[in-house]
Amino acid sequence: MNWNAFLEFVRGPLFQVSLLVFVAGMLYRLVRVLMLGWSRDNVPSKGSKGGGVVKSFLKSILIWPFIPWVKRTFSKNPVIYLAGGLFHLALLVVLILGTAHMLVWKSLLGFGWATLPLPMVDWMAAVGIAAMVALLIHRLVNPVMRLISGPSEWANWTLVFLPMVSGYMLTHHMFFRYEVLFSIHMLVVDILLIWIPLSRISHFIFYFFARTIHGVEFGKRAVNP
Amino acid sequence: MPEETVHQYLQKQGVSRRDFLKICGALVGALGLTRMPPFDESGLPGNLKHTSVKPIDMVRHALETKPRLPVIWLEFQDCAGCSEALTRSHSPTLVNLVLNSITVEYHETLSAAAGFQVEEAKQAAMKKYAGQYILVVEGSIPEGDGYCTIGGKSALDLLKEAAAGAAAIIATGNCASFGGIPKARPNPTNAKGVWEIITDKPIVNIPGCPAIPEAFTGTLANFLIFGSLPELDGLRRPKTFYGNTIHDRCLRRPFYEAGKFAESFDDEGARQGWCLYKLGCKGPTTYNACATIKWDAGLSFPVQSGHPCLGCSEPNFWDGGGFYQGQSAPLNRPAVTVVGAAAAAGIVAGAAMGAANQSQKKSAARKSKKQKDA
Amino acid sequence: MQTLEAMNVFVEETGGWVASQLEACTRCGMCAEACHFYQGTGNPEYAPVWKLELLRRAYEQRFTLTGKFKLLLGIDKRISDEDLDHWSEINYYACTVCNKCSMVCPMGIDLGPLLHEVRAGLAAAGKVPDDLMVAVNKQIEEGSPLGMTSEVWDSRLEWVADDWDVVIPRDVKGADTLVVFSSIEVMKFPSNIAAIAKILNKAGENWTVSSKAREVVNFGFYEGSEEHTKLFLQRVLDGAKELGVKRIVVTECGHAYDALRWLAGNLIPEANDFEITHITGVLGELVGSGRIKVKPGFFDENDSGTITFHDACKIQRRGGYIKEPREVLNILAPKSFKEMTPNREEAICCGGGGGVIAIKAADPMRYAAFELKIEQVNKVGATTVTMSCSNCRLQFTDGVEHFNLDWKITGLAQMVADAMED
Repeated sequence: MNWNAFLEFVRGPLFQVSLLVFVAGMLYRLVRVLMLGWSRDNVPSKGSKGGGVVKSFLKSILIWPFIPWVKRTFSKNPVIYLAGGLFHLALLVVLILGTAHMLVWKSLLGFGWATLPLPMVDWMAAVGIAAMVALLIHRLVNPVMRLISGPSEWANWTLVFLPMVSGYMLTHHMFFRYEVLFSIHMLVVDILLIWIPLSRISHFIFYFFARTIHGVEFGKRAVNP
Repeated sequence: MPEETVHQYLQKQGVSRRDFLKICGALVGALGLTRMPPFDESGLPGNLKHTSVKPIDMVRHALETKPRLPVIWLEFQDCAGCSEALTRSHSPTLVNLVLNSITVEYHETLSAAAGFQVEEAKQAAMKKYAGQYILVVEGSIPEGDGYCTIGGKSALDLLKEAAAGAAAIIATGNCASFGGIPKARPNPTNAKGVWEIITDKPIVNIPGCPAIPEAFTGTLANFLIFGSLPELDGLRRPKTFYGNTIHDRCLRRPFYEAGKFAESFDDEGARQGWCLYKLGCKGPTTYNACATIKWDAGLSFPVQSGHPCLGCSEPNFWDGGGFYQGQSAPLNRPAVTVVGAAAAAGIVAGAAMGAANQSQKKSAARKSKKQKDA
Repeated sequence: MQTLEAMNVFVEETGGWVASQLEACTRCGMCAEACHFYQGTGNPEYAPVWKLELLRRAYEQRFTLTGKFKLLLGIDKRISDEDLDHWSEINYYACTVCNKCSMVCPMGIDLGPLLHEVRAGLAAAGKVPDDLMVAVNKQIEEGSPLGMTSEVWDSRLEWVADDWDVVIPRDVKGADTLVVFSSIEVMKFPSNIAAIAKILNKAGENWTVSSKAREVVNFGFYEGSEEHTKLFLQRVLDGAKELGVKRIVVTECGHAYDALRWLAGNLIPEANDFEITHITGVLGELVGSGRIKVKPGFFDENDSGTITFHDACKIQRRGGYIKEPREVLNILAPKSFKEMTPNREEAICCGGGGGVIAIKAADPMRYAAFELKIEQVNKVGATTVTMSCSNCRLQFTDGVEHFNLDWKITGLAQMVADAMED
C-alpha cells in the first residue's frame, strides 16, 4: 500500500471536500433551524434577562467542568460532568493551543498564535482519551444511557475517539510508520468533518442557542440559572 | 576475453595492496555489511557462498574477480545537480573508489566529446555491454511530445532504448525517481519518473534533490559486489539509506519533544538550535540519510544549518503544501471563492428546507384551527 | 388517527425555540440525575430526555433530512398509537414539570416548556389520563376541578368569614388588587383563606375576590391543552377586567402562578395590562416593610422543634420568590428555621405537582418521589415543614399520612397570620 500517495490524498483533495461539506452542512443546519421562526416574549420580566444569559454561560464554562459540586443538583453522578468537562478541555488545549493544529489553523486563516509546550498538550491529550473511555463505559453501563443511545451516539463516540487516539499515536511514533499514522489520522478527521453536520456533534453551535434561552428563562424570573 | 578486474584497474592507478584492503574495509562499512546475518539468511546470491563468511573477504573477492561496471548515464529534464553533487563529493576513499570501479561509458554533462560522436559512442557501448550495463537516469521524462529531445530523439524513446539492454536501472535524484520539479503543479510536460515508464527491469530510486552521493555510490557498490540490488522499500528506495526519516535521526529532535520551536529564521530559538517544525520542516515524513550521512563528507545538512527539511526525497514534495508551511497543515486549501460557494449552497439548501418546514407548520396550524372551529 | 393529531400539534408548535434546543441535546443523560421520579424509582424511562422522545421523533422525522433518512433505513421508528399510550403514562404519571432537569443540562436546554409541548400533543390525541381529564372537564363545566361551583364557593367563603371572623371583600369594583384563591385552599385548607384575608386586611390593602375569577388553578395547563389553558386564564382575566383592578395576586398555588404570570401574556395580550404577583412576594413585602407587625421568634417559643422550608418548583425555581420566605422565616423562627439540602432553585420537587396528585394510577411514582423529600427532612431533623404552595401542602399532608410520619405541615401565609400582632 503506497502510504505516501494515500497521505497526499487524505491531506489534499479529501480534506478539501470534507471541509466544504462541513461548511455547507453546518450552515444548512443553522439556517434550517433559524427559519422555523421565533416568537416574541411579551410578558414583562421580573429580573434581568441579560444578566441571566451571562450567568448561564459562566456557569457552563467555569463551574461545571471544574467544580460541579458547587451546584448540588447533580450530586448523583459527578463522573459525567468531570469526564465531559475534561474531554472538552482537552479538545480545546489540543486543537487550539497545540502547535501541530495551530499550524493547520494558520494555513486556513492566515494567522497563528502562541501555543503551549508539547508535554503539556500531550498530557491533556492523554487525559482527554481517558475521559473518552470513561464516557464510553458510562454509556454502555448506565441504564438511562443505554435507553437513549442509538447508532448515531456510538458513531459519534467512535469518530471523535479515532482522531484523538491516532493523533496521540502519531505524536509518539507508536507502532507504525509516521506516514501511516498521519494518513489514518487525516482520514478519520476527514470522515469526522463530514459526519459533524449530520450528527449531534453540531451541538457546539446549538449550545449557544440553548444556553442563551436558558439564561433568558431564568434571568427573567430572577432566579440563578 | 577476460576484462580487467577492478583490482587490476586500481593496481594500474597505483593503489597498493594495503590500501586496496583498506578500501575493501571501507566498502564493508559503507554497506553496513558488518551487521549481516548468517549467509543462508542473508539473501545473498548463492554464487558468493563459497567465499568465507567474513564480509571483507566477500568484498575483496568481488573486487578481485569482477570487471569494472559499465554505466550509461542519461539525463533528461534535469539540472545535472545529482551529477554535480557526485563529482563534488569529497570522500576520497569511498566515492572516488566507487567511481573508479565503474566505467562511465556515456555522460552528457561530463563528456568531453559532444554531438553525434558521443551518441555513436553510446550506441557502441550499449551493444558491447548489452545485458550488463547499469543505466543511470537523471531528470524526469516528459510524456508530452517534443518537450525534451536529444539528437532529434525524444527522451521517452531514448529511455526505452537504453533500458532494453540494461541489467538494472538506477534513477538518481527526485526527478528521475518521482518526477521532481518538472512534475510540480501544473506539470505542463506531463513529467514522469523512470519506474512509471519502464516496468520490465529492476529499478532503484535514489531520490533527493540532489540525491546524497553516498546513497548513490553505496547502491552501485552493492550491485558491484553482490550483483544484485539492495533491499528496497515501497518506493523502491534502498532501505539502507532511506529506512529512517530525518525526524528519526535529527539532532534537533530533543527540542521537538520538549516543544521548543523556532518561530522565525534567526530568532533566539533558531540561534539556540531549536526544532524547525513551525517553520515548515518536513522531517517527520521524509525518508533519507541526511541526518546521519549528511552532506559534504558529513559536514552538515539543511536542518543542522538552520533550514527546515524540504522533503526532497519524497514524491511530489514541490506540491507538499509549501516549504515554510507547517507539516501538519493541509496540502491544499479550497479557495475562498469555493468556500463561499459551499457556504452559499448550504444556506440556500437550508432556506429551502426551512421554507418547506414552514409550510408544513402552516398547514398544521390550519388543520388545528379547522378542528377548533368544527 | 390519533398519532396524526399528536403529530399535528408537534409540527405546529415546533419553532426555532423548540428546534434549536432539541438540536442541542447530546444524549448525555444528565437530566435523569436531576429527576426525582428517576431517582426515586430507578426506571430509566423516566429520564426527562426520554419523556421528550415523541417530540424529538416528530421534529427529526418531519423537519430534518437525517431524520427522514433514519426512518428509511429503519434506524428510527414512527410514532404509533401504542407509543402515545406509553408516553402518556411516562409524561403524566412521572413528571411534575418541575424543571429541575433544565438546571443540570450542560447545554442549558429548558425541558419544562418542551415537556408541555409533549403534553399538548398527547392532549390533542386524547391520550390524557382519565382522572386528569375528569378534573379538566369539571373545571370546564363547573369552573373548578374540585367541583367548586359558584354556589359552593359562595357558601365556603361565607363559612370561612364567619368561623374565622375575617372580612373577605367580594366583587368590589374599583379595588386595587384581585386575589384569586385556589380551590385546594378553599376546599382543603380553608384556614389559609382566613389567614390571607387577615393579613391583607391588617395591611390595609384595597383588595377583593371575584366570583367570575374564583378559581386560579388551571387544569388545562396540566393537561397541556392550549385551548383549555386559555379558557381558564380568560376567566381570571375577565374577573379582573370586570372589577377594574390593577394587580392580580395568586395565592398559595404554584402552577397557577406559572401559567398566569409567564404564559398568559403571550396567549392573551390583555393579561399584560395587569401586574401579576404571588402572595409570597406580598408577604415578604408586608413583613419586611413593617406594614404588618409580627412577633419575632414566634415559632421559637413553643419549642416545637426544627422548622424547614420546602421550595415549591413554580414559586421559587420558576417564580423567583426565593428570598422572601427566608426573610419571613428568619423573623418568625430565627432559631428553629433550618434549610434542607438542596434548597432554593435547586430544591427537589414534592412530587405531587403537574397534575400527578390527581391521578390515582400515579400514586406509586408519587410516593417514590416523596421518599426523597422524607430523606431531606429527616436529614435536617425537622418536625415542621412549611411551604408557599397548597398543592405541595396537599402532597405533604398525604405523604405524612401514607408513610405514617409525625411531621406538622403548614403554609407560609398561615404562619405569618398566626404570628401577627393584633
